[in-house]
Amino acid sequence: MAVKWRREMILVKESNKKIFTKKDITKLAIFSSLLQASFNYERMQAGGFTLAQLPFLKKIYKDDKKALSNAMKDNLEFINTHPNLAGFLMGLLLSLEENREDRDVIRGLKVALFGPLAGIGDAIFWFTLLPIMVGICASFAMQGSLIGPLLFFSVYLTIWLLRIPLTHLGYNLGVNAIEIIKEQSKIFSKVASILGVTVIGGLIANYVHINVLIQIPINQEHVVSLQTDFFDKIFPNILPLGYTLLMFYLLKKKKVSPVTLIITTFIIAILSSYLGVL
Amino acid sequence: MHSVTLTQALLLSLVAIIVGVDFWLEAFFLFRPIIVGTLTGLILGDVTTGLIAGGLTELAFAGLTPAGGTQPPNPILAGLMTTVIAYTTGTDPKTAIGLALPFSFLMQYIILFYYSTFSFFMSKADRYAEEADIKGLAKINIITTSIVALSYGIIVFLSVYVAQDLMKVIVQSMPAWLTHGFEVAGGILPAVGFGMLLRVMMKAEYTPYLIIGFFIASFIPFSNLLPVAVIGVALALYEYFHTKDQFAFDGGKVAKGDDFSEGI
Repeated sequence: MAVKWRREMILVKESNKKIFTKKDITKLAIFSSLLQASFNYERMQAGGFTLAQLPFLKKIYKDDKKALSNAMKDNLEFINTHPNLAGFLMGLLLSLEENREDRDVIRGLKVALFGPLAGIGDAIFWFTLLPIMVGICASFAMQGSLIGPLLFFSVYLTIWLLRIPLTHLGYNLGVNAIEIIKEQSKIFSKVASILGVTVIGGLIANYVHINVLIQIPINQEHVVSLQTDFFDKIFPNILPLGYTLLMFYLLKKKKVSPVTLIITTFIIAILSSYLGVL
Repeated sequence: MHSVTLTQALLLSLVAIIVGVDFWLEAFFLFRPIIVGTLTGLILGDVTTGLIAGGLTELAFAGLTPAGGTQPPNPILAGLMTTVIAYTTGTDPKTAIGLALPFSFLMQYIILFYYSTFSFFMSKADRYAEEADIKGLAKINIITTSIVALSYGIIVFLSVYVAQDLMKVIVQSMPAWLTHGFEVAGGILPAVGFGMLLRVMMKAEYTPYLIIGFFIASFIPFSNLLPVAVIGVALALYEYFHTKDQFAFDGGKVAKGDDFSEGI
């Protein structure tokens, strides 16, 4: 990476006087929530990403319109990262802006890091934490208990608050964060996937319901239920597992859109209901 | 059978605006059906229905995430309308999920439309950047977010208040097999979401973990997935230390040198 050879140069400059107080960085973490304020397909999060940093860029560049304009232009380039980790990236970049690093270095770092951060963030927050929270909270809610939504909310409030220490971390680590991200991102994603896949296995067993109603009369007193006497004897929840794996196959290999699968599921369910199968 | 009063409809619009902006920014996760359903139930004076509808919809939407800039069927309209339909028509929340889906798709397509059209603001943003105009850039972000907020308010008001009589007529005229069909579909629906999750996470090497999770949940009777999550954490930790040892042994070959952005 072109950025690497410049690293020593950056480290030497690190003794510069700090412009930002701890309070500033906490504010940056809160402002980082604006990341998606003007989300669009052309630049994705660029508008919000720039806006959140602007008060702090202004503090660095003051009345130097040219420098501020350059910083804004760089930040308005395409970016798509994870909202929970955007503060971390902003903190990191602002530590460089504060040292008045070369614009190409700052831009290069941003481009190099937003993708991996998005990958880690999606793996942890969308694909692992959400299934776990759903698996635990939904059953409380369905029993009519407020514990479900309250637990859900408190966990996600904590996650939001974590943006503050993460932003401080990004700012304090500066360029040193790069090696850490590169080394840890793969193992983090892997570990998160393992946890996520385990929980999905449980979710399938607990929350996908397929109950076959067909009864086969053997003689006058005896009736064989296809569900309890056949499918449940093979393995409990075998039909939910089979249907989920079918969905997985269609989504992955046949690239069928989820909306199509939702609608098809409804058609199959209604037809089966009409025929008395399900 | 209940009716939604004008005050309730306006309050629901207000809630939709707040959680709508939260979804737009992905900040506090108030936009998840489990929260939206509960809030809707509170406003309608029937928290239990809200909790049940919210929990059910949450399960169906667990895998439908906006990760990577895609837009899933809208979780807010799904959670809100499932609760409202169950409350106003007296139908089972399981059946109501299906009836709420068209509203969810509608909002999904409105947001997708904004994703495309908001691109036009970017050339303006470039001009503001050229002039170092902070206020101008702030204005763009305020306008786009306000458009989204307003859309949620209007769509929810129309769906909840204006469409309620139509909804009742539809539900009343549904034959039993159709109602039951919707209920069955509601039970199978989470499979699509879980399939979506597997699509991003599943690799052949993770098959043992899927089997372990499935097996435990099938044979340990427990009201929620906590035991599975705990075992999942144990397996993840085991793999973490194992991989780290390997990393140390190979002198760093494991984690270096390739594109990790597709590591999930």
